[in-house]
Amino acid sequence: MISVESYKRPETIAEALKLLKTGKFGIIAGGTDVIPQMRHTPARSLLDIGKLGLDFVRENDNTVEIGAAATHSQIQNNPLIQRFLPLLSTACGLVGSWQIRNRGTIGGNIVNASPCADSAPALLIYDTKVVLLSSQGRRSVNLSEFIKKPYLTVLTAKDLVHSFVCQKGDDSAGNSFIKLGRRQAVNISRMTIAVSLVRDDSNKITMAKIAVGSVFPTPTRISELENKLIGQIVSKELFDETADLAADLMIKASGVRWSTPYKKPVLIGLMRRALVGASGIKEIPA
Amino acid sequence: MSSDLTPKIKFRLNGIDMEKEVPAGWTLLRYLREELGLTGTKCGCEIGECGACTVLMNGKPVNSCLVMAPQIENASIWTIEGVTPPGGTALHPVQKAFIECDAVHCGFCTPGMVMTTIGLLLQNKKPDNSQIKQALAGNLCRCTGYIQIFEAVRLAAAMISENDMRPFRENISEN
Repeated sequence: MISVESYKRPETIAEALKLLKTGKFGIIAGGTDVIPQMRHTPARSLLDIGKLGLDFVRENDNTVEIGAAATHSQIQNNPLIQRFLPLLSTACGLVGSWQIRNRGTIGGNIVNASPCADSAPALLIYDTKVVLLSSQGRRSVNLSEFIKKPYLTVLTAKDLVHSFVCQKGDDSAGNSFIKLGRRQAVNISRMTIAVSLVRDDSNKITMAKIAVGSVFPTPTRISELENKLIGQIVSKELFDETADLAADLMIKASGVRWSTPYKKPVLIGLMRRALVGASGIKEIPA
Repeated sequence: MSSDLTPKIKFRLNGIDMEKEVPAGWTLLRYLREELGLTGTKCGCEIGECGACTVLMNGKPVNSCLVMAPQIENASIWTIEGVTPPGGTALHPVQKAFIECDAVHCGFCTPGMVMTTIGLLLQNKKPDNSQIKQALAGNLCRCTGYIQIFEAVRLAAAMISENDMRPFRENISEN
């Protein structure tokens, strides 16, 4: 059974920030993480951000801005996101179940800061900045710095996540998103990989972005892999070496653990598959 | 008296406009079952894994165990009790299809299955097998093995008319 001490549902952002300034409130949006968590915690004061109009998706020159309270379903089906941030649309379409996607929000997915948050690798590919509001004003933090460690962000009790500003993806990029779970749906990701590649007519890779979830303590872009690929001609050997390097980096970061005999070959296999998928080439030359 | 913990809100439930003081600390599931006596919506896992508590919120399936009661303000909610056409003598085609296909065994998951099925058919009149499986992935059944349930959804899709679906279309937004 859950219980609350007080429940506020403000109509304006100003009102919400004033309440947050007291430091007493926990924020609730879709509730798909907060409500199950409340079963194990003492009564809390909740601030519901459902009436603040934070479920927008809007296009600027080089960016798409997504309100923190946009649901996974909304993001999955939004034409702007499908066009400019296709990996994010795919990632959000794989979250939980249809019921969860209809309620769970992107803000909640990121604020919860789980190592396996499905939307995070996709947002990292698009160099996302998190826009925060507080009674002190507005600030913007790179997503890569926003999540500090598992389940911990730079957010204070006085902050409200307003939106995510994502750089539009390259139109000519090939993209691949792989989510590994124990079943096809309603699973917690065991591993997620997002890859975006651009190659020229000679099959030389001119742009490479790679981000992973559940490989390192937090969702992470892997610049070592990106640098290895850029300027190289697509080949089986290149992708094999890149996938091996990913596994080496994982073990370097976390040490050999009980799960390593499983995770190492799986990461290598999935990374290869993601690279091949994003390259758009069916028969990769040896 | 309306307060922080019992806000007075308007919502639509099974097609009827309501204005009520709701307990702010309760989930929608608990509110439906314990305050309104609508026990057709089942309480299973209470963490959004099983789908037994599925209701439609503005035409979309949601886990009512993961919605706080004040969050239904200005929303249209449909529960299994509202699915049967007024009068209570006939069943809805989706319910008929579940019976026809033996898609009900112990029956605990059925209300949630029916609500998700209606949500699916609101969006997609002729879902293919993979769309059916994807839509129902958040509804667990420990009896039937799902085959009969998927058959029931296909049969329901073949039987329904727009008339059967119209009531549920209120307040449906794009996504």
